[in-house]
Amino acid sequence: MQPTNDFESDGRVPRKAVWQFVVALSVGLFALLGSRAAAAQEPGAAGNSCVSCHSMQLDQRLVNPTKLFGGQDVHREKGFECVDCHGGSPTSPDKASAHDASGRIAAMAFRGKPTGQAVIATCARCHSDAELMRSYAPKQRVDQATEYASSVHGKQLAVGDTKVATCASCHGAHGIRLVSDAKSPVFPTNVAGTCATCHADEKHMAGYKLADGSPLPTHQFNDYRKSVHYNALTKGNDLSAPTCNDCHGNHGAAPPNVGAVANVCGTCHAVFAQKFATSVHQPIFDKGCVECHTNHAVLKPSDQMLSAAAPGVCQPCHSGDDKTDKGAAAAAAMRGGMERLKDEIDRSDALLGGLKNAGIEVSDQQLALREAGSKLTLARTEMHGFDPAGVAPILADGMKIVAAVDRIGQTGRAELSFRRRGLFLSLGAILIFVVALGLKVRQIDRRDHERRAPSATV
Amino acid sequence: MNVIDWVDERIDLSEVRHFVAEKGVPVHAQKVWYYLGGMTLFLFGVQVFTGILLLLYYRPSATEAYESVQFIVTQVKFGWLIRNVHSWSANLLIGLAFAHFFSVFFLKSYRKPRELTWVSGILLLFLMLGFGFSGYLLPWNELSFFATKVGTGIAGAVPVIGHFSLRLLRGGDDVTGATLSRFYGLHVAILPAIATALVALHLLFVQRQGMSVPPGVEKKLKPGERLPQMPFFPNYILRDVLAWYVVIAVLAALAAFYPWELGTKADPFAVVPPGIRPEWYFLAMFHTLKLVPSHVLGIEGEHLGVVVFGIAALFLVLVPFLDRRASRGESSRLFTVLAAGGLIYLVTFTIIGHYAK
Repeated sequence: MQPTNDFESDGRVPRKAVWQFVVALSVGLFALLGSRAAAAQEPGAAGNSCVSCHSMQLDQRLVNPTKLFGGQDVHREKGFECVDCHGGSPTSPDKASAHDASGRIAAMAFRGKPTGQAVIATCARCHSDAELMRSYAPKQRVDQATEYASSVHGKQLAVGDTKVATCASCHGAHGIRLVSDAKSPVFPTNVAGTCATCHADEKHMAGYKLADGSPLPTHQFNDYRKSVHYNALTKGNDLSAPTCNDCHGNHGAAPPNVGAVANVCGTCHAVFAQKFATSVHQPIFDKGCVECHTNHAVLKPSDQMLSAAAPGVCQPCHSGDDKTDKGAAAAAAMRGGMERLKDEIDRSDALLGGLKNAGIEVSDQQLALREAGSKLTLARTEMHGFDPAGVAPILADGMKIVAAVDRIGQTGRAELSFRRRGLFLSLGAILIFVVALGLKVRQIDRRDHERRAPSATV
Repeated sequence: MNVIDWVDERIDLSEVRHFVAEKGVPVHAQKVWYYLGGMTLFLFGVQVFTGILLLLYYRPSATEAYESVQFIVTQVKFGWLIRNVHSWSANLLIGLAFAHFFSVFFLKSYRKPRELTWVSGILLLFLMLGFGFSGYLLPWNELSFFATKVGTGIAGAVPVIGHFSLRLLRGGDDVTGATLSRFYGLHVAILPAIATALVALHLLFVQRQGMSVPPGVEKKLKPGERLPQMPFFPNYILRDVLAWYVVIAVLAALAAFYPWELGTKADPFAVVPPGIRPEWYFLAMFHTLKLVPSHVLGIEGEHLGVVVFGIAALFLVLVPFLDRRASRGESSRLFTVLAAGGLIYLVTFTIIGHYAK
């Protein structure tokens, strides 16, 4: 009969029970070591009661900072810990002493979650310290806090408006990534979306007003997404294409002043700005470039814009019907010239394309046509001086190039028809020869057959 | 007295006269395949002729090669025609060489006593592929540059001698002007010299042994019965000339209607353009190597693929010595199946390789 209790009849511990104990002990030890190893992998977990305590909280708001900071975070990677921003004593075993705000226990008094100006001050402690920043990011600027104070956000915060963006609103508080990291909320392709979290939110923006007293609009993000800039940035992968901060500034974010728009656009479109500065429109256009191109929804410009009739942008001020309107006449002259050159380039390009497909080498002419295209671009740039006399010679140069290309194109076309005629003549000659040869072969075969036939009968 | 009599008086031509008078070609239902060899030889002649004309203007350096070909097709009178005919003829030549190879394989024309004719023919086929590979780089355009990079990279995957052969072919670690010089030398001197000798040998064998009669035709003959013969001169040779004229007509039409594109000049620093692939006759091999897993039984896939292709090439050379049944005059279905399998593989993988992205 098998024993029913844990002991053998002689009082010795049964072998099975010993094995069960050993297995249980091993599992327990592994679990303990495993949890310690896991804890050791947490950022700054060794001797850090912030992480060990916060990671065990039921309230996710208290857990998330340890998760995010433990993931990819530029500060953690550089050796910073919770205490460097929040203060407190990370070596204390209990909450009260760890959260000591008196400064008696902790080297830096516990300050909890900074808000409002405290966020700026917390970040500025390091980021405005040129000597300290030299050790971590020597090329990084250290005037962000000063710039921020000059921004609309900074000014609003200074008067007690805590709804405005602070450092953490754009960069995040925990899990902060470098600006060059494509997942960073301030990476060029993400900036507009980050700004839009507040600026496209009607509820959040309620109560804010423009300088003229009208409500601050919330359609900028939607407008921007229609623009040529957004397309270049997101579809053309051109990270130099402008997003919100390129025109408004980032830390010193504010709308460009009236009159400063041309300077802002001129940062990239330097030649256009130069031409515009000398134009008759410069003293008249309050909003500079925005007058014709709008601001956020900057569409791909076209020659059709240059007209005093719809859909041209000259029409609010100029009238195409008014024959005495010099501005309308100048617009019509410049647009007409540019469209003519464009049509000529397209026509010539189609001619060269056809010749190329037919095997005529036209790469030099295609290169020349590209030069004519450059002249068209130059004319479109020159047009921003709004003086037809400046545009006309450039267009004439372009037309000369197209005419030269055309002459060679026509020679190519003649060469092509010569080749085809030559081919048909050659094929005809070959066909005649092949038929003649076939007849000759048949004649020889017949002669041989006749020669052999009598001898076969002999 | 005509010229032949005049020459005959000085060097006795009686043997040649006798050869010409006696040489015959067997007449049977499958004699049409005999023309493929003659057409391939004709295209080889076209290549030599147009190649020499191109040599007059071509400059084999990385800075001038592209421009010189551009000059040939734009400025030189009928240069476009010569270049297009040379390019098209090269492709037709390789196509016909493959067709000739498969016809000989299927008709078992390699069996005793024509083993050496087969070996010289197979070596000529490999040489033609070498001509195609080396000639493709000479215009120094973007496609040929990157395709040569890939092609010579495959040579680098040969076990043991891979790195050496890659450097030997490229003249360095990368495809540069030095590679162009080597390919030029290979294309216009080394390969033509070997090819001329092999063609001469191949023709000598064919003339000495006469045309092979397919086993199927031979079997149908009654004991003592001989196949009717067609005189080689002039009956057969005129038919050959007729076929050559058809080839000329096809070449002229292709050259005029589907000119060979020159493309853009090679830029070693440019991003590899999409769709880089070798010429059609290397597509099956190229696509097979693409499909081989990176490692097979611990061996690097590319190495394995190259070794298998090497063994296949050696097998082809040795076919007459391996197919013992055919040499004894017995039917050898295994080799017919192998030939059919090879043909299906080449056609299928070339098509798949052409459409693969």
